[in-house]
Amino acid sequence: MLDFNNVTYSYPGGEPALNGISFHISDGEQIGLIGANGAGKSTLMKAALGLIGVQGTITACGLQMNKQNLSQIRKHLGYVLQNSDNQMFMPTVIEDMIFGPVNYGMSREEAEKVADKTLAQLGMEHLRDRHNHRMSGGEKRMAAIATILAMEPKLMLMDEPSAALDPRNRRILIDMLNQLPVTKIIASHDLDMILETCDRVILINDGQIVADGDTLTVLSNKTLLENNNLELPFCLAGIPMKKRPKMQ
Amino acid sequence: MHRLAPLAKLLLTMLYILVTVSFNKYDITGLFVMVLFPVVGYQFSFIPIRTCFYKLRIVMPLVCAVGLFNPFFDKNILFYVGNIGFSGGVISMVTLMMKGIFCLMASFLLVATTRIEEICRALRQLHFPKMLTSLLLLTYRYISVLLDEVSVMTVAYHLRAPGQKGIHVSAWGSFLGQLILRSMDRAENLYDSMLLRGFHGEFTYAEGRNSSRHGAIVFICCAILIMLVRLYNLPAILTSLFI
Repeated sequence: MLDFNNVTYSYPGGEPALNGISFHISDGEQIGLIGANGAGKSTLMKAALGLIGVQGTITACGLQMNKQNLSQIRKHLGYVLQNSDNQMFMPTVIEDMIFGPVNYGMSREEAEKVADKTLAQLGMEHLRDRHNHRMSGGEKRMAAIATILAMEPKLMLMDEPSAALDPRNRRILIDMLNQLPVTKIIASHDLDMILETCDRVILINDGQIVADGDTLTVLSNKTLLENNNLELPFCLAGIPMKKRPKMQ
Repeated sequence: MHRLAPLAKLLLTMLYILVTVSFNKYDITGLFVMVLFPVVGYQFSFIPIRTCFYKLRIVMPLVCAVGLFNPFFDKNILFYVGNIGFSGGVISMVTLMMKGIFCLMASFLLVATTRIEEICRALRQLHFPKMLTSLLLLTYRYISVLLDEVSVMTVAYHLRAPGQKGIHVSAWGSFLGQLILRSMDRAENLYDSMLLRGFHGEFTYAEGRNSSRHGAIVFICCAILIMLVRLYNLPAILTSLFI
């Protein structure tokens, strides 16, 4: 589904943001991409989407990425941005949902059918004609995911999908992610969510892969996580308590 | 009005604005009749006129201020009412105000009864450049986001500058700079998102309501009435009939 082979990228005048990254993702895998701030998660996602030019080779959906086949590859990729406002640029949810499919050649009627079906599957029919700027943060996040699902992608990439969600909406999101039958790469600091939604984790630091393996194995390795400026997920670390001075 | 085809509404509004601004600056009586069209439109659309004035309360004074200096430049007395003489400057100032207000009322009526995608689609049908319609669509979508950003920055400023009224001049530069940088950052992300969903330079707009026979009749009647009002000074004709 997605292959990175010795991929390197540096921002202009900066240190390498990706440094010889190689990995393979198979169909149906659920990948958690973790790392501290500035580790290179978002850059890796952008590279996978062909938004930045890199050294090395990236193969997505059986095609080696180059300028000529970029739109063909992107047709099969869905990217959920961290900020839903940046993603949903059309006035209403339904307009946003049909934007992608119509651009990729689907007729408007057909695209609307797919969008309606997607909304029904997610139980979000009530948001269909809502204005994007009049929704709550949680609704926007769900609608943003719906707009990508309406494109029927083979591979979904999500940047911090649980950021700024309240616990209830976060739970709804996790349940929704677990039901989606597509290959997913989820970049997040929410390690508890990663534990619940992914079966494999890639840990990166300073643009390099530090660990790549089974979710529970990686996320329960306290030393590994702490060496890479992370902590054990709350559910594995136990309930954190504030240290209070002893009462006399 | 809500059921009229978007293209018909757009054309009518454009015609109305063109005709309204084409009145001579002293032709206050002819212009006065033009108020009927938006007023009737608001009635048919079940939109209270006060909503228009309330929503446009920031723009209206600016429009009204356009001819404010005319009385100082054009002091030629045109007519007297009793002992009070009305100069050309005063008349042209009132005419300009009326033109501005009427045009705003008509534009607001169009926006209030038509969705933005329908307006953009109608504009594209009239072969408006796609860049302009895209700009219009995205401005409508992002104006609230930009205002939210301004509001957040203003609150952040005031929390660290208690007792200050407004934003100090020394901070204007960095304030605006930050806003521009944030907007550019957002614009870049937004464009990425569009590219990833196959954007190739043109938005596709929803099929609007098609013109019905009823709609076509309303459109033709309104257009004829607007042109009649422009060609004949109805108040003057009515006055000559009775006096």
